[in-house]
Amino acid sequence: MNDFLNSVGYGQWILHALVIIPLAGVLLLLAVPERAAKHVALAVTLLEAILSLGLWWHFDPAAGMQYQTAAEWLPRWGISYRTGLDGISLFMVLLTTVLGPLSVLGSYNYITQRERGYYALLLALLAGLIGCFIALDLFVFYIFFELMLIPMYFIIGIWGGKNRLYAAIKFFIYTFFGSLLMLVAILVLVWKVFAATGTLSFSYEHLLANAGAAGALAPWLFAAFALAFAIKVPIFPFHTWLPDAHVEAPTAGSVILASVMLKIGTYGFLRFAVPFFPDVAMSPFVSALFVVLAVIGIIYGALVAMVQPDFKKLVAYSSVSHLGFVMLGLWGGTVQSTQGALMVMISHGISTGALFFLIGMLYERRHTRELADFGGIARVVPVFSLILTVVALASIGLPGLNGFIGEFLVLLGSFEAHPWATGIATTGVIFAAAYLLWAIQRIIFNRLGNDENAGLKDLSVRELAVLLPLVAVIIWMGLAPGPVLRRMEPAAAEYVELARPSSGGFAASPSTGEVQP
Amino acid sequence: MNPIDMSSPTGIAWALLPEIVLSAWTLIVLLVIAWRHRTAADSRLAGWLSFSGILVAGAALALLWTGGARPAGLAMMIALDDYRYASGALILLSAAGTVLVSLRYMERENLIAPEYYPLTLMATVGMMFLAGSEDFMVLFLGLEVMSIAVYVLAGFDRRNIFSSEAALKYFLIGAFASGFLLYGIALVYGATGNTNFQLVGAQLSGGQVPMLATLGLGLLLIGFGFKVAAVPFHMWAPDVYDGAPTPVTGFMATGVKIAGFIALVRMLFEAFPATEQYWQPVIGVLAVVTMIVGNLTALAQRTLKRMLAYSSVAHAGYLLAAVWPGTRLGAGAVMLYLLAYSLTTLAAFALLASLGRGGERDVRFDDVAGLASDRPWTALGLAVCMLSLLGFPGTIGFIGKWYILQAIIVESHYILPVVLVVTSVISAGYYLPLIMSMYMRPRSPAPSYAGLSLSHAGAAVVAVLLVAVVVLGVLPAETIDATLRSAGTLVRTVAPLAER
Repeated sequence: MNDFLNSVGYGQWILHALVIIPLAGVLLLLAVPERAAKHVALAVTLLEAILSLGLWWHFDPAAGMQYQTAAEWLPRWGISYRTGLDGISLFMVLLTTVLGPLSVLGSYNYITQRERGYYALLLALLAGLIGCFIALDLFVFYIFFELMLIPMYFIIGIWGGKNRLYAAIKFFIYTFFGSLLMLVAILVLVWKVFAATGTLSFSYEHLLANAGAAGALAPWLFAAFALAFAIKVPIFPFHTWLPDAHVEAPTAGSVILASVMLKIGTYGFLRFAVPFFPDVAMSPFVSALFVVLAVIGIIYGALVAMVQPDFKKLVAYSSVSHLGFVMLGLWGGTVQSTQGALMVMISHGISTGALFFLIGMLYERRHTRELADFGGIARVVPVFSLILTVVALASIGLPGLNGFIGEFLVLLGSFEAHPWATGIATTGVIFAAAYLLWAIQRIIFNRLGNDENAGLKDLSVRELAVLLPLVAVIIWMGLAPGPVLRRMEPAAAEYVELARPSSGGFAASPSTGEVQP
Repeated sequence: MNPIDMSSPTGIAWALLPEIVLSAWTLIVLLVIAWRHRTAADSRLAGWLSFSGILVAGAALALLWTGGARPAGLAMMIALDDYRYASGALILLSAAGTVLVSLRYMERENLIAPEYYPLTLMATVGMMFLAGSEDFMVLFLGLEVMSIAVYVLAGFDRRNIFSSEAALKYFLIGAFASGFLLYGIALVYGATGNTNFQLVGAQLSGGQVPMLATLGLGLLLIGFGFKVAAVPFHMWAPDVYDGAPTPVTGFMATGVKIAGFIALVRMLFEAFPATEQYWQPVIGVLAVVTMIVGNLTALAQRTLKRMLAYSSVAHAGYLLAAVWPGTRLGAGAVMLYLLAYSLTTLAAFALLASLGRGGERDVRFDDVAGLASDRPWTALGLAVCMLSLLGFPGTIGFIGKWYILQAIIVESHYILPVVLVVTSVISAGYYLPLIMSMYMRPRSPAPSYAGLSLSHAGAAVVAVLLVAVVVLGVLPAETIDATLRSAGTLVRTVAPLAER
């Protein structure tokens, strides 16, 4: 495989291709007739996904940051289009590209108006997300970070539910606020580093090596970065935009939002906020703050999810809970906890994505998402019910499915540094079982009370084509997480190393602990 | 080009070539319309004549700019540097756009009076003098030539009571502001015995700054505050912008602002560098207040035109923040932001002109609901304008804001940048609802824009402007360098000059 990939120069062009293909797709969509739009979008995203899969084999875990490219953009200001990929971004990119065609396919029947615009925005969104994950220049990162806002804003605002305008502007303003303060922080950091080193550059590596130049401003800069990412994650108490956006967004919007976009927040902590300012991030106070907020998120998200009458809102709040695990893992300070956090990011992306697809399919049939409107549909739609159960169990964290690995590693890896918090977080897993199993029970089991549900159609071939790849990944990652963990381990170890404060910090955390569950 | 000796008549003729060309052309247009002023065709003729005059003046300007015309010795009366040339180009751009958009608009609104065009040209000449002034006398003359022409333009729709109100209000406030300016000039002259910027700067930089000069500076700042509509001197702006015919509003919001800010920067840099500790805090406070008040009040507006009027107040705040550092980077940021703001605002007002009638005062956000399905290109254009005004990446508006932030942050100052970005977030609260209305709401039953459209000339202007907004937003390197180079030609007088 690698010989073939090398023979076509895969490493040289793949990162550019991943950004350019969806953008070219946007232009292509503007030129094709309205009814061909979805097929064109599917073809483009499939091409993108197939090309990106080569990374799985071609990526060399030991090589650290790879596929690096740099094209001058604003040379006077040290801004170049720099990109690269490491064990952290690899999986984020794969998650994005794989969900791309599935989102298009999942929208086939759901979107009936202005299809061309919808798919063009979806492709632009994918390009922005991938750009965000591969950017190694803070200016470029910022631009991608902002650019993905607009497509999502339109997707929610035009194709969303009843309350879509409110949800769209809330989503936009929350994120915009955080990101603009981050822009100020980036500029301050760049100029401080310039004053210390004499090199004006927005390059990630340059800033990472010299971030110490921020001096007394470091806490402020960290705060600005952390705020931008905390809103995106979202960490309690910045999460209020999330349920609105999720509930109002069309299915594919919710999928992309939950599966990929939220990960930009945790990715930002992993890549920028913590490595730049480890002394601040890992100081006792800040560390305690984030761990406490993470635990609050886990418990609060789960408890609120439990009382939601709307299935989509329930899953939205469960995201708050799952991402709490990620934040806990990032502050756990061990390779295990970091790998666990990454695993949660991936498996949450897959299982929550699948859940949103399933909710969308249910909604297309019945135009309601209220749990109370369903019940006993397992007899009517057995395939649907089976898949829903598998996905829900994965989301709960049943051993043998993908959700378990990540949460287990997070709890294991964080226990040493934060025993109490980890202990409390463990109960979150129980709550997760409670809210999801209860919801499943109310939807597919119980008595078939509502006559309207008796005529439900089971999944079509197209819908199975959306769901089965996700289910396959859920089972495969649950049974054999080794290949995934191996690929991310060096990057996780590097993060732990970077996150170590210069004085003190974690006691005796194994930096190269081999994990083989 | 050889250095220009400004004491000889030929030297002065060279130095003033663009202004002379444009003034002469104005007189020709006036002569033409003395005979031809009755029909719509006459009006169009005057419009196209004026447009060609602007092109010729632009060619003259390009001659000076590309030739690198510089003064032999001290620049007397008028500046000969790239900062003047760049601002002149911006002003001509604004005028050209205004003329082209007005062609159809004036006919539609039944304003068949070809005098409109020579007045626009006169205002343009005044703006160019103001932006290029190197002497307090020229500054004042330029200001008055510009203002008087614009007063008339604001009231051009004389059957419309709001237009008349706008003209009267603008005139009274303008006269008031001129009084402040003139008194300030007098005090500075009294303190230094000079009216030339660089000589004043040289006088003031030697030791103690006289009380009289400080007082004069304060009055000048108040005068400029009125002219650029900085809070708390902005009260006139919304009513005047709202009442004037829309192309005129676009001209006021761009041309007058360009000339005012360039003159302010030049005056502060060349005449008052030694008193930076006095004017810097004043400019800083004005910037903060203007950004906050401008954005918050814009939030409360329900009509498009008034929203754009208040947003132009907010943008004056961003520009003041760019003046604050008093550095080359800051002056470059002012120029770049003026470019970004002018391109976007001209396009926005041109598009607005095609959305209503009778001055477009009553085009509410709800009235353009569903515009995207009826007139997708207009909606797309307005959306791009809003995003650029918001400072969203991918547009020149973002590059402008980034550049301002950078210019301030280099000085290790962080309050202004934080206020700037927080108020930018607030501005999303009024730019986005317009986009929402156009794209996300169902079409209103009786849209205000029914039966209206842009003329071909207007559409061409908007297309050029918007392409520039996006292209310069993606590939800004050359533009940034050009603005920075132009700022580098400003003389920042810090040591006493040798001569005199």
